[in-house]
Amino acid sequence: MQKLLRIGLTLLVLSMITALLAVSCAREEETVAATNPTDNPWTGGDNLAGTEVILFGAYVDEDAARFRTAMEPFIEQTGIDVIYEGSGDFEALITVRAEGGDPPDIAVFPQPGLMTDLYQQGHVIDLRDWMSESDLRESYEASWIDMSRHEDGAIMGAWYRTSVKSLVWYPPAVFEEEGYEIPTTWDELLALSDQMVADGYTPWSISMESGGATGWVGTDWIEDIMLRIHPPEVYDAWVAGDLRFDSPEVREAFEYLEEIWMNDDYVLGGAGSILTVPFGDGANPLVMDPPRALLHRQASFITAFLPDGTEVGPDGDINFFYLPQIKPELGDPVLVAGDIMSAMRDRPEVRAVMRYLATGESTRGWLEQGGFVAPHADVPLDWYPAEDRPYAEIVQDADVVRFDASDLMPGAVGTGSFWTGMVDFVSGDSLDDVLPAIDASWPR
Amino acid sequence: MSDTAVKKPYVRPSAVAGEKKSRALIAGIPARAFILAIVVIWTIPTLGLLVSSFRTQLAIAETGWWHGLINFTDFAQWTIANYERVLFADDMANAFFNSLLITIPSTVIPITMAAFAAHSIAWMVFPGRKILFVIIVGLLIVPLQMALIPVLRVYTRHGINGTYLGMWLAHTGFGLPLATYMLYGYISSIPKSILESAHADGATPWMMFTRLVLPLSIPAIASFSIFQFLWVWNDLLVALVFFGTRRPIVTTRLAELVGSRGQSWHVLTAGAFITMVVPLIIFFSLQRYFVRGMMAGSVKG
Repeated sequence: MQKLLRIGLTLLVLSMITALLAVSCAREEETVAATNPTDNPWTGGDNLAGTEVILFGAYVDEDAARFRTAMEPFIEQTGIDVIYEGSGDFEALITVRAEGGDPPDIAVFPQPGLMTDLYQQGHVIDLRDWMSESDLRESYEASWIDMSRHEDGAIMGAWYRTSVKSLVWYPPAVFEEEGYEIPTTWDELLALSDQMVADGYTPWSISMESGGATGWVGTDWIEDIMLRIHPPEVYDAWVAGDLRFDSPEVREAFEYLEEIWMNDDYVLGGAGSILTVPFGDGANPLVMDPPRALLHRQASFITAFLPDGTEVGPDGDINFFYLPQIKPELGDPVLVAGDIMSAMRDRPEVRAVMRYLATGESTRGWLEQGGFVAPHADVPLDWYPAEDRPYAEIVQDADVVRFDASDLMPGAVGTGSFWTGMVDFVSGDSLDDVLPAIDASWPR
Repeated sequence: MSDTAVKKPYVRPSAVAGEKKSRALIAGIPARAFILAIVVIWTIPTLGLLVSSFRTQLAIAETGWWHGLINFTDFAQWTIANYERVLFADDMANAFFNSLLITIPSTVIPITMAAFAAHSIAWMVFPGRKILFVIIVGLLIVPLQMALIPVLRVYTRHGINGTYLGMWLAHTGFGLPLATYMLYGYISSIPKSILESAHADGATPWMMFTRLVLPLSIPAIASFSIFQFLWVWNDLLVALVFFGTRRPIVTTRLAELVGSRGQSWHVLTAGAFITMVVPLIIFFSLQRYFVRGMMAGSVKG
C-alpha cells in the first residue's frame, strides 16, 4: 500500500524532472556566426543576424539534409537562421497549421493546386508585394513565372525544384547486346516494343499503385501524350477546364495510351497488374537479373526507389531516354512537376530568404549533391554533376515546357476524379463512362 | 459430439482416476483449437513483418516473405541492413529520449486525474454528477481530429505550441474520457460494504481513496496505463500537429526515414520491431498487476 503511493510519487517526481529537462533543453539555442551580416544581396543592407525563419515542406531525411546544405551559404552570409522542418504528411498538416494560426514562415508546396487553395483563403502572401516581376525574370523563364501566377495576377511563390517526367528508363546492357536503338519517334518506340516481344522479352513495366493517390501514373502518361499530339494551347485549355475530357482531343490521347497499356504482350504481368504493383517498384524489373521488362516511363525521381547500389548512366544498370515525340511539327515537349516556395508570414528576414530562394544560387548546394534539377534560368549547366546534366539538358532543349496538368486542375479533379478515372479505365471501363464522369466532377 | 468421442468401450483400471480430468481436457479441444487458430492468424502478419525485416530491399520487392522461409538457405536475401539503418540513423537516440519525455508524463497525468475523477463520480454525492459522467462518456465519441485546429489556435495564442507541455496537455485531454470511463467502471464495482466498513472505522475520504480504492483498482490502472502508453508512444498525428519535427521523436523520425516519396518503406519493417521494444517492456512489467485478482478475500467478517 505504502509502496504503491511511493511508486506513484516517484513517477510524479520523474515527470517533473523530465519536464525541467525538457524546458532546459528547449532553452539551448544555437548561435549562428556571420562575419558581416549586412554584406549580401538579400537583406537590403539590414542586419538581421540572430533572427529565425522556419520553412516547412515535404522533403525528409536525405532530401531535407541536402536542402539544409543549400541554405548554408545564406545562413553564413546573413546570420539569419533558416530552420527546415519536414514531414511526409505535409499536405494535410499545412492546412491544419494555417487554419490553426501556426503557419510556417515559408511553405514548400509539392503541388501548386494546394498553394492556390491557401492563397485564396488568404494564407499565402503575394510575392509582388516584396519584389518586382523584373527581379523574378532575372532568374526564371516567363513560362515558370506564369505557372506561379494566380488568376488575379498575384505571384504566389518562387519555384525551387523541378522533376522531369517525360523519361523512359531502360537497361543499357540489354540494348547493347540486342542492338536496340534509342527511339526518337513514337512509331519507333512501338516498333522497338514489337521487336522486343519478337525477341522473347516483355517490353513495358507499368505500375500505378500509390495508396490513396493511385492513378497519378496514368495521368502523367495522358499529359505527356496530350503535349505530343496537340499544340500547347490545347493543353492549356484542357488544364483550365475549357476543353472537356469528353472531347475528341482527350479521347485521342487515351487511344494512344490504350495501344501500349492494354496490349498484354507489351505489359509485364498483363494490363491487370498495372493497378496492383506499387509505382516505386516499377523500375525494379529492369535491373533484375535477367531483366523482366525493358522499358519504364517514369519521372527522374524513380532513381530514389532503385535498390541500393544500382548505377544510373549509359554504362550503368539503368539509363533513360526522352519519351519520343509523336507529331514532328510539335517538336519535343517536356512535362515537368516541381516544388514552389510560398511565404506565409511577413517579416524582413522572411523576405530576405524568399529573395535568396528566387535565385539559382540557392539551389547550388543541393544540385551539386545530385538528384536535383533547378527551374532557375540563372543556373549554369556546369554546376550539375555529370549524371544530372542530361535531365537539365532535356529541360533546356525542350520546345515546350508544361506543368503536370493534374497538379494544376482543381483538387476535385486533379487529385480526385482524374486519378479514379484512370483506375476505372485500366479496370476496363469504357471511355464513354470514364470521361463524362471526370467532366461531371469539375467544379464550375 | 464430444460425448460419443469420449465414451470408450474399454477403460483400463489405471486410467479411471484420471478419467474426469482427461474428459474435461478432450471436451476443451475444439475451443483450444479455435483459440490456437485465431492466435496463428493474428500472428501471421507480424511473422511476415519479422521475416521481411531481415530481407534485402530487392528481395522484399521481388518475392513474398514466405519465399524467404521456403528458400531459407538462400543467404543472399538475408541482411541486417534494415536494422542498422534505423538504429544508427541520425538523432535516433535523441528521438527515443524525446519520446519517453512525452510518453511518461502523458501516461501518468491522465491516469492520476482520471482516478480522482472516477472515484468522486462513483462514491461522492454531489449535484450533477450523473450529467457530468454522461458528458465525459459523450466525449469518447468525439474524434480527436476535430479538436486539432481549435486546440492549435489556443496553443498558438499562448505560445505552448511545439513544447513538451503542449504535448502532455493534448494527450491528457485526448486520453481522459476513456481513462475516467474505464476507471469508473472498475471503481464503482468495488463492493459498497468495503467502503462502508472503512467509514465505520473512521477513515476519511482521502484515506478511503488512497488506501482502499487505489490499491483495489491497480488492475484497471495497469491496463489503462498500457493503453495510454501505447497510444502516446505510437502517436504520429498529434505529434506532427502540436510538436512539429524540429525535435525528433521516434514516430516522426521513422516517418522521415521512409524518404520524401516513401521509397525506403522497407526500413519500416525493422523500425516496427525496434520501436516495439519499449512498449513490450512496459507490458511485461505491468502484466502481473492485472493478472492478480485483487478482490479475493477483501471482505472478511
